[in-house]
This record gives sequence, C-alpha cells and structure tokens, in this order.
Amino acid sequence: MILRKRLLAFSSATAVMACLSHPAAAAPWVRGFVVGTYEYAFRYGGRAGYSRPGEIEPGSDCIHGSTIHFSNGEQIRRALKFQSWRSPEEIDMVSTLPTLEQAKTPDQARFMIWDRAMSYRGWRRGIETYINPFAALDPGQPQVVSRIGDGFNLDGKVGTNDFVSPDGEKGIDNALYRAWGCDAPWRGNGNATLDMRSNDKMQEGLYTMVIRISGNQDPMNDKDAVLEIGYSPDKIIKDARGNIATDFSYRIVKTEQYTRMKAKVANGVVETEQVAELHAPRIAWFYDHAGDANFHQGRIRLSIDADGNAKGLIGGYRNWRDIYAQNTFAQDGGQQGVREHEDGVALYYALKRNADGMRDARTGQNMGISTTYRITAAAAYVVDAKKPAEITILTLEEKRRQAYLRIVANMIKATTTRIPQDVTPGTSEGAYPNMERAIVGMPSADYFLKTLDRPHFDDVQEALASK
Amino acid sequence: MKLDRRFLLRGTCQGAAAVMALPFLDCFLDGKGQALAATGKRIPTRFNTFFYGLGLTKSLWVPKTAGLNYETTIQLKPLEPFKKKMNVFSGLRVMVDDNPNFQHWSGVGASATGISPSKTGLFDSKTIDQTVADVVSRGSRFKSVAAACAGDPKQSYSSLGGANNLPAEASPLSLYTRLFGPGFQDPSRTDWKPDPQIMLQQSVLSVVAEDRNRVTQHLGPSDKARLDQYFTSVREAEQQIAAELKRPDIEAKVDIPTAPDEMVVNSALPNMRKVLPLMARLGALAMATDQTRVFNLSISEPGSQMFVPGDPLGYHQSTHEEPLDPILAYQPRVARYNVYSMELFAAFLKELDAVPEGDGTLLDHSLVYGFTDVAFAKIHALDGIPVLIAGGASGRMKTGHHIVGDGSPVSRVGLTLQKAMGLSVDSWGGGSMETKSPYTELLA
Amino acid sequence: MHNRISVAILALVILACVGQVPASAAGGEVVGMRRLTEQEYRNSIADIFGKDIAVQGVFEPGKRIGGLIEASGAILSITPVGFDSYSKMADSVAVQATSEKARARLISCKPASAGQPDDACAAQTFSHYGLMLFRRPLTGDELQSRVKLAASMTKASGDFYTGLRYGLASLLQSSNFLFRVELAVPGGAKEYTLDSYSRAARLSYLFWNTTPDAELLKAAQANELGTPAGLATQVDRLMASPRLDTGMRAFFSDMLQLDTFDNVSKDSLLYPKWSVQLAAAAREETLRTTIDLALHDNADIRELMTTSKTYINRNLAAIYGVPFNFDEDWVPLAFPPDQGRSGIVTQISMLSMFSHPGRSSPTERGVALMDIFLCEPTPTPPNNVDFSIVNNTDGPLKTVRERLMAHATNPVCASCHTHSDPIGLSLEGFDTIGRHRSTENGQVIDVSATLQGKSFVGAQGLGRFLHDNPKYPACVARKLYSYAKGVDSQDVELQDVKAAYKAFGDSGYRMRNLLKAMTESEDFFRAAPPAVAAKSTKLASQ
Repeated sequence: MILRKRLLAFSSATAVMACLSHPAAAAPWVRGFVVGTYEYAFRYGGRAGYSRPGEIEPGSDCIHGSTIHFSNGEQIRRALKFQSWRSPEEIDMVSTLPTLEQAKTPDQARFMIWDRAMSYRGWRRGIETYINPFAALDPGQPQVVSRIGDGFNLDGKVGTNDFVSPDGEKGIDNALYRAWGCDAPWRGNGNATLDMRSNDKMQEGLYTMVIRISGNQDPMNDKDAVLEIGYSPDKIIKDARGNIATDFSYRIVKTEQYTRMKAKVANGVVETEQVAELHAPRIAWFYDHAGDANFHQGRIRLSIDADGNAKGLIGGYRNWRDIYAQNTFAQDGGQQGVREHEDGVALYYALKRNADGMRDARTGQNMGISTTYRITAAAAYVVDAKKPAEITILTLEEKRRQAYLRIVANMIKATTTRIPQDVTPGTSEGAYPNMERAIVGMPSADYFLKTLDRPHFDDVQEALASK
Repeated sequence: MKLDRRFLLRGTCQGAAAVMALPFLDCFLDGKGQALAATGKRIPTRFNTFFYGLGLTKSLWVPKTAGLNYETTIQLKPLEPFKKKMNVFSGLRVMVDDNPNFQHWSGVGASATGISPSKTGLFDSKTIDQTVADVVSRGSRFKSVAAACAGDPKQSYSSLGGANNLPAEASPLSLYTRLFGPGFQDPSRTDWKPDPQIMLQQSVLSVVAEDRNRVTQHLGPSDKARLDQYFTSVREAEQQIAAELKRPDIEAKVDIPTAPDEMVVNSALPNMRKVLPLMARLGALAMATDQTRVFNLSISEPGSQMFVPGDPLGYHQSTHEEPLDPILAYQPRVARYNVYSMELFAAFLKELDAVPEGDGTLLDHSLVYGFTDVAFAKIHALDGIPVLIAGGASGRMKTGHHIVGDGSPVSRVGLTLQKAMGLSVDSWGGGSMETKSPYTELLA
Repeated sequence: MHNRISVAILALVILACVGQVPASAAGGEVVGMRRLTEQEYRNSIADIFGKDIAVQGVFEPGKRIGGLIEASGAILSITPVGFDSYSKMADSVAVQATSEKARARLISCKPASAGQPDDACAAQTFSHYGLMLFRRPLTGDELQSRVKLAASMTKASGDFYTGLRYGLASLLQSSNFLFRVELAVPGGAKEYTLDSYSRAARLSYLFWNTTPDAELLKAAQANELGTPAGLATQVDRLMASPRLDTGMRAFFSDMLQLDTFDNVSKDSLLYPKWSVQLAAAAREETLRTTIDLALHDNADIRELMTTSKTYINRNLAAIYGVPFNFDEDWVPLAFPPDQGRSGIVTQISMLSMFSHPGRSSPTERGVALMDIFLCEPTPTPPNNVDFSIVNNTDGPLKTVRERLMAHATNPVCASCHTHSDPIGLSLEGFDTIGRHRSTENGQVIDVSATLQGKSFVGAQGLGRFLHDNPKYPACVARKLYSYAKGVDSQDVELQDVKAAYKAFGDSGYRMRNLLKAMTESEDFFRAAPPAVAAKSTKLASQ
C-alpha cells in the first residue's frame, strides 16, 4: 500500500515535470512557517443543521452525541453510586445539594462540591481518583464509531481499529480519535471548547511553534528536503484583522522540543520520513502543562499553498499516560470534569483500551497510543539565533509548573505500581482549599466539609498558597 | 420643606422598582433643579465606572457598521435609549506581554490601568478613576465613592495600585449612610471652607505675574504681543482659582430621618435588579450635590457569579459549561446573561440621565466607563474585549459612534477618557499597551 | 534683632548669588523669544533635576513653518489651556524635586529649622536653579520675590521644603523658563549681537537639544563665547560629545517631518500589517540611519539619497520582506537589490507618512519630498477642483500614474503637478506602507519621471537625481540655519549662509563641518536691531 502511494507520487511528479514548459532551476530554497492553529485531528460527524439546545448532536462519529458527564445532579448521582462505601445520605446530599441557594456564590459552591466528590471515587475512602484512576470502576467512554479519520499509517499495517483517510488510504492509525473523539470539549465543528481555548492561548503568547523546510531543488518538488520543527521564543504577531501576520521572523531554538527530519516535496505537498522520536511543542492552554509532545514513529505532512501558507498533519505514538496527565491536571481533574463535562477516569480507561504502540517488553503493555494533530501555519522567516535566545521564565508560573510535575509523577507512580498515591500540594487538585471558600453561607456546608474526602497536607498554609 | 429620607428607600422595599420622585431632588437643590449651574459656576465634569463580569457575545453585540448610525444589535438593545450619548468600541486588544493571561483578571487590570497586570488580583498602578479623581475632585466632599450591587465590598475596581483597593459600599443602606448620613456636607452652611491648596497656588501665580514688568520693557511689537498672550493666560488661571475659592451657591434644607430598611444584597438577579437602581440613584444624587465627582459602580466580581434563582449553573459556570449551539454558533443561556448585564448598565445610565442639570442632564456632564474582564468568557480570550462609554463630558466628548479597534490596545480608550475629563496627560498605560494616541475623532 | 541680621545675611547672599551684573541686565534688548518644544522642555528638566523626575502633561503643539516646527516657537505664544498644563507640570516637578527622596541630591543647603523660613538657604537654592532655568542669573528682584514667596509659604504650611516647592514652581512656570528669551547687545556699527548667555542657550539647544550645562554657563559668565577661540573651544566640546546625537536627532526629526507619524493611519482591511509599533519603528529607522551617516560615519550628506544601508528591527523586517537575525533589537540591513530602493526616500517612513490610508499618493510624496529636501514647497490646489475623475479606481485609468497624468494635460493643474508629481511617480514601485510592488491592479507600474528637465527611472534614478542636485545640500544648510535661529527657511537665502555653505561643500558635504562653520561664523549670533518694524508682525497664537 505504501509502495503504491509512493509510485503514485512519483508518477504525478513526472507528469508535472513534463507539463512544465521549462524545468524549474535547481537552487537552494528555504520556507518558514509559524503555526497558528494546533488541534487534535478529530473529524466531526454531526449532521449540519441539527440542533438540540444545549447538546452537541449525534452523528456518524458519535451515535449518542458528545459524551456529557457531571452536568446535572442525576449524572452525579450515577457516578457516586459506583462507590459502595458511600452512604445513601451522602449520595443524596451531593447530587441534590440542598440549601445551595443560600451560598454566597451558589454556582461556585456547586462546582467545587462536585469537583471534590468526583475526585474521590476509589474502591475505598481516601483514594484520590484522578491520580489513581485505576482505583475507580470504568464508567465507560463511548468511542467513535465511524471509519473515516485523518492521520498516518504509522505501523504499516491495516488493523481492525484503524481508520480510512478521506482520500481512501487504509490503515490510518489515530486511536486517540477512536478513544476521545466523542469527548465533549474536544468534539465540535470548528468550535470545540478546548480547541478554541488552546489556540487562543497559543496565539496570545503561551508558546510559539515554527517549521522550516529547506532543499536544493525546487520548493514545490524536491526529493531531498529537510524539515525542522521546534519551539520559538518569539511571540506570535497578529495583524490588525486578528490573523497571524505573515513574513515576520521567528527564531527556532534547539531545545528538547526540536526535531530535524528528511522530507520529500511533491507538487507542494511535503512528506517527512518517519522518525523514532519527533519532538515538538504540544497543545497547551496553561503554562504548567506546556512542553514536548514527543511523537514516537512520528511523521509530518504539509501542503503549501500559493501564498506560502501551510496546513497539514503531524502524528505519531504518544505516551498515553502523558496525554491523560496533560488533559486532566491542566487545572485539576474535578474541574475538567464538572466544567468541561468529561470524566477523567473514563478517558483514562479509554486510552488504555485503545493504546496501540510503544510496547513495553517487560510488561507486554502498550505504553503509547497513535495520535494525529492538525496544524495550520502562516508564512514566516524562521531563523537560527546566533546569540543564545533568552527564554522568559515566569517565576509564579514556574512554581505552579513544578507542582504540576509533582502531581504527574505521583500519577505515573500510582498507575505503574497500582499503589494509591496522595495528592501533592501546589495545585487545586481535590478542590482544596477552593471548596472551603466557595461554600461560605450554605447551611449544609459543615456536612460537606466533614463527609467528603479531601487532600491532606501537613502544612495548611502550603495548601492555601497553592491556588 | 421637610424631607423624609425614609421615602428614598421605602417604595423599593415593597417590591416596586426604585424611582425617586423629583421633589426629593429639589429639596437638596434650588427649586428649579438646577444644581450647580445656579451659581454661574461651571458645572464640574464627573467620572463614573461601571464594571460587569464576563463580557458579551461577539456575534450578538458588535454592530456591522462603524461610525455614527450603526445598527442597534440585540445585546446593545437595552442601551438604545442612550445610544446617542454613548460610544461603543469593538476589536480592542489586550497585550499581556511577558505576563500570563490571568483568567478573569488580565482584562480587568488592562482596562482599568492600561497595564497588563503582573500578579493576579492586583493592579499594577492606580486605576483610571483615581487618576481622574486626583485632578477633578478638588473641592468635593469625597474624592471618590465605590458601590457594589452584588453586596461584596471587595468588588471594587477603584484602586491606588497593588492591593490598595478602595472598598465598595455593599448595600444601599451603607451607601446612603456614607453619602447622606452624618457628615453630609450641606454646601449652604456658613462654615464651608475652600481647599487650602488652591490658596497657595494663587500666591505662586502672583509671583509669576510680577515678572511681567521686568521683561516687557525692551520688546519689539510682535514679541510684546506674544508675551501679552502669555500673561493673559496667567491671568485666566488666576481667575479660575478665584472662582474655586468662592462658596458654591446652593440652597438646601435637609432633615435627618430614621434609618431606612435593610434588604438582601447578593448576586441573585432579581435582587440586583432592585439594588442597582437604588445605588445608581444615590450615586447620581451624590454627584448632583457635589458630595463626590467620581462614582464607581460594579455589579459583579470578575467571572461574575450572577445567577437566576432556580438555576444552579449561574453565569460563570454557564460560560464554561454551556456548549456553543451548533446552528447559532453562540451560547444561548450565556447570551441571556450578557443582556441582563446590559439591562443593569442601562438602569445606571437612566438614573444619571434623570437628573436635570444646567442645559442638560447629569449624564451630559459626566463620563461613564463601562468595562469588563474578558472578550469570550468560555476560553478566557481577551481579543475584542468590549468597552462601552457614555456621557458627553460637558461637551468634550462626541458620542454616538461605534469605533472599530483594529487591534488597538484597550488603553487608547482610557487615554481618550482622561483627555475628555481635562487631564493634562500625554500618554497612558504600560508595556505594549502604552499609548499616546487618543481617539481624537471623539474629542471635541 | 534676629530679623535684622537675617535680612542682612539675605542681602549679602542675594548679592553674592546674583554676582557681577552681566551684559544682559545692563543693556540687553529682547530680540527673540522662542517657546521651548516638548523635547527641549523634557531634556532641560532631566538635565537640571535628574532623569527620575517624571514629566506628565500636554504640550502646546507647534506649527510647521518653512518646513520646521522649531521656527514656530519664535512666533507662537502660550494659550490659557497651555498655561494650565505648564502650571500643573511646574508644580509637579517642584513637588518631586523637594520630596524627601530628592532633597539630599538636589538641595545642597539645609535650613536652620525644618519648620521655619530660612532665607539664606532659600536664596541659595533659587539662585542656583534660577540660573539653570532662566539660562542666566536671576536679577535681584526676581530672586527677592521668590525668597519672599518661599518664606510666606513656609509660614503657611509649617514646612521649609513646602516653601521651596512653591518658589521653584514659580520659576518653572515663568515666561523666562518657558521661552528662550534671546537678549542682544550692540556689537558694532548698526548691528546687534546675542549676549553671552543667549549664545550659550542657542548653542546648547542646537547641539544637544537641552539647556546649557554647567561648563557652558561658566564660559558664558566669563564672556568666553564672545571670542573666536573661546567659542571654538565650546563648539568643539559640544560636538565631540555623544550628546550631539540627541541634538541632531531633534533637527532631523523636524526637517524630515517625522512627527507626521502622529497622524498616519492605514486601512486595516487592505494593509493589516500596519500597526502603531511599525510606525514607531519606521521613525526610529530613519533617525538611526541619518545620524549614523551624518555623524558617526561622517559621510557626505548626499549619500543619504543613494545609500543602500539602513537599520531594521523585527517589525520592519516583515515590511522589507527580509528575515530578521535577532542579533540585537536593531541590526543593519542592505536593501534587497531587486526592490530598487535607494536612500532615505525609499525608507518605510518617507513612503508611508505621505500617502493615503488605502493607497499610495505620488502627489503627496512629491510635495513632501520637494519641500523637505529641496526647500521647494508646493502651493495648495485651487478651490474649485473636482477630484472625482482622478480618484475613481474603477474607471478606465487603472494606475495612479494614469490618473495623475490627467493633470498634466490641464494647464490649471499642470503648473504645480509637474513640479511635484514626478518624484512621487518614480516611487510608485512602493505601496502605501512602503512595501515593494511591481504591478498595480494587474498592470505593470511605470516608474519613469521627468523633473526640471531631467529624466530618471524609479527610486534609484530619483536618488541619483537628488544626490546630484545642488539644491539639496543647500536646503540642508538653509534648514539647519533656520532651525538654529528659529526663522522661516523660506526667508533664508543661500547668501545668508554663504560662508558655512562653502565650508560644507569644501568638506565634501559633511554635517560636522557645516555645524562648526555655521556656529563659528560672524553671522550666527547676529540679531536684527530691536524696535525696528521692518519685519511683518506675524502674530500667531492658536
């Protein structure tokens, strides 16, 4: 299959060559791009024109529509019933929240009580769920049922779980789409919440991702090109209309988020080789969970238009625990749950179930899941810095980032050893001390304070300072 | 005329909307309701701020046409009665530079100080109302007053910088007590004293004027004319000061009544709809009687907790939890809350516009700066953060425009406002938002 | 008893501070009053009180006369609104200068008692700052009135420094500070010449755009500026200093009309790349390159028209269409050869300032460049002109050039348009934000032009034309002279700067030689005898 595709590319290239009245002069060329949008390559299958207020409608990708968790008392009740150690009274109190209206900030109170309750759904009391997702029962995450998906055939095989690309290519490995494609914040027809949020933050200056392609023949057709991708310390410049301004210069720096790959260009479509580790920035909407995406068996495909702008795909296997961590601990698991209506536990099991790569020889388990991301990029000059570039460190944000790394480390330890780990201070995990602040004024506040599990830090001040 | 101040609040506590009868106003002023204009003294220009959390919905509020005669969009409809006295700004930008975008805070700091805040919850400089108050409040009883319709004194966006926020009055009763309780300064009292600083400045000018004789002896005619012009300007400044030293000429007879009733003040919409007109009215009266010239009114914290009873989701949570309707491409419930905020803003403007003053209303002699914390609350985006201003600044601000920002920093509006207030300022803001360009097309 | 002694001491102090009566008080006639520009005001305050003192306020705008705003300072006055602002700024500066933090640094004497008047210390302070602010020693009366004011303010407030504050404030809003009062004394038959302190001020504001420093004031007091040797010493000192950059930046900023950027806006739909940051960068680019060439490289000023070297920052790189190497915030750039740029007239500043928001304007560019570089302003169009045909981009006339050519055929229009359009037409290879282009509305742009009988093609041809045109360096000389003296450059004949211009030419048109020759020429400090009504009374106040 791959061979046939290459032949196709070759023959179309010769056809183009034959059509040209004179061949392009061979000369060194460079093209640079700054990434403007960066999203999971999920395909939206909902019917255009279908609307039911408050819901993202069902479609060929998700027959029950987007999965929505924790959006009302009934869904909370259902989640709480899984814990056999919860008393019926506790289940009632948490899902119906009597006297909520008397809280000074009722919607914050609701948010935080549910955040905390959802953060403790283990097989016994006291196990924080998002750090120890294995300790809770799998609530189930409906998968994407459609056959069409964007991405690459990473393993060279056509598997039963694989997709077919819109162009008809079989064996597309995008298991993350299978696992998470119905997850509410990531599903949408160009308006998925977390897509919008992460793009907005990236454009605002959270990080900059740049690509540089170079060769010696012709930018539209070159058998021996090089593609570099990496982080730039230079902030994205937007023009007066709010688009990414073209022709600005960005430095590419060789941090851990940098990769250099061989590539071929045919009719303006760039295909890189497949590399063992493709390092590049990853999607983020906070400083703390930004970093290296690290695609194993990674590849990039870009098509460049007449204006010099590009769009395409970047894909590979990613460590699925990392994906879970980056999504869950962005603020805290409970907040992601109640605000974005996703259940981190369900997402965890979905990842594990669909993991299809990076096999660990010792345990026999797949540590990675195939992923694809969609990028669009504007024409730019991507330059090497002669002087070492200063990367601005924001001290307060750095503190928070260290806290995030600690909690992720605990989660990895927990899921590998299956020994429950505690919440580490410095984040708002477990809604501590946010719930304490939010329920002021509620007569039933004491009940929730006494009954619900929460993180225990030796130093209360540490906890209070952590928000 | 005996005045019963209980009358002020009683009507509202029985559930009716708070509409103050004009005779109440007349008790404070001369019978014609012409507050300070009666003295022939120039009516001072007042400055107001109005804060509402969580912004608006772009596709529903931004008019498609720019300039005058823009169409009234759905979310600006509540403000339609005041359209001719307002300017609305779309497409403005907040540049955070090397600071993070503090959720629900960076927009507030940027709008109020022109500077992207370096810490969440703190202002990196004095806020605009204080900068204005420093200049215009000389002679009034209070330098500035702040009030919070949601009942939390911490909901004040009036600050000396850092965490030095001036606390807000958190209920109509406390606002009333502050303004019209003990210490109420009846300007017609005989022991009224002018600001001592003004007297000192007078002495300085007379020394400056003395230089005249020495300089003009040997001048050619054109230079003599120019020096004449200079000294005329000095003389004008002296006259202005002399006017400020005169006692304002106001007749007022006031009785101190018993304290008015308490009421529930919180983020529930029906309560806010009762409380805001009251607070707005009190603020308007305070400005009309020169208790203060700077009034700050807020209806929420950043990330507004406004809610409709029976709806546990509330405004803030809705912005995050409600999905975008796939056909409408906006959040319908959030859009309704946006409109509630605009209705409250309109109620504020209504009170300002209801006080006749000189040849117009209090609103005509004021500026109102309506700002918020985000452009799109769901993702905490700042691009296109809305700004709505009202009032004619005693003729110095042209109104009726929709200005398209084209990526200009939000600080340009703040600079324009300060210039219209008569501040001698050439630049405002910091970092990438430091600006020297006011909207000159709005400055008369 | 105590009072009599302090009065006596005060009198002595005043006498000591006033010093020997300089030529100015004796018979000095006011021959000029030049209002300080905003930059001159700020620089003077910074030099006198230190850079920490914040100056916030609105300055009265100037008017461009003979191509220079500096010239309007000599005919404008101060309006009530302006004075209000100056008064507030004066108080603000005085408050900061007498604050606890600044006192130690700025006030060298200490009062006998912090809550009581101390006339000796007050006199010493006002004498010192009065000399610096008025740019000459205070007269006895001037000093006396400030000391009295300070004493009464101290009594009213109970604080000595408050008294000082009000005294300082009165100096800062005096006409003697806000205007550079130029006094002249008779200097030969029927001639008047600037007195010593006025010479110091004129030199200082020309070379460094600020108030005379201590050394210059000392030289003025010792009358050294009246001798050729003494004058040369100071001129050389002022020119050797890096602060010459500041003075020349102010001059070129004025001559090149860079303040036009304050009012430039571009259509964001058509030119979304344009931004306020870009405008500021373009301004800085032009100043940097000009100062570099004229002062640091000490090159022939005509090369400003042909040089391919400029300086860019990250923003400008995007408009020039080149990568930016981030070595520094500003890096040198050689114009890409295929863009056909040549010298300063093809920098983004010149191309964008004199151009419409939505498209280029050969007429505006031509008019501006003729005025700026050849000292040939263009008269305004007649009142009854119908612009509709030439402004219609949908008509048969596709390029701007074609539409403009319609003017050439109409005799009413031709006289001015043939005078100024050609320059602009040769620059049509650049759009309204200064980017290079070769087609407009699908048609190839014709950049040929004929001006004053000479034909040239494109910006490089224009650059050559201006380089070879003797009117250009002559214009530079006339404008520098007008800037230094505060007069209308249209009234200045080359004859008036003859000696300096010759030295300029002999040196290969080097600015330093022009500056030295001009300031050391006999004519430089010559003043018209006062009270002669020869000049028209130009009364201009806004």
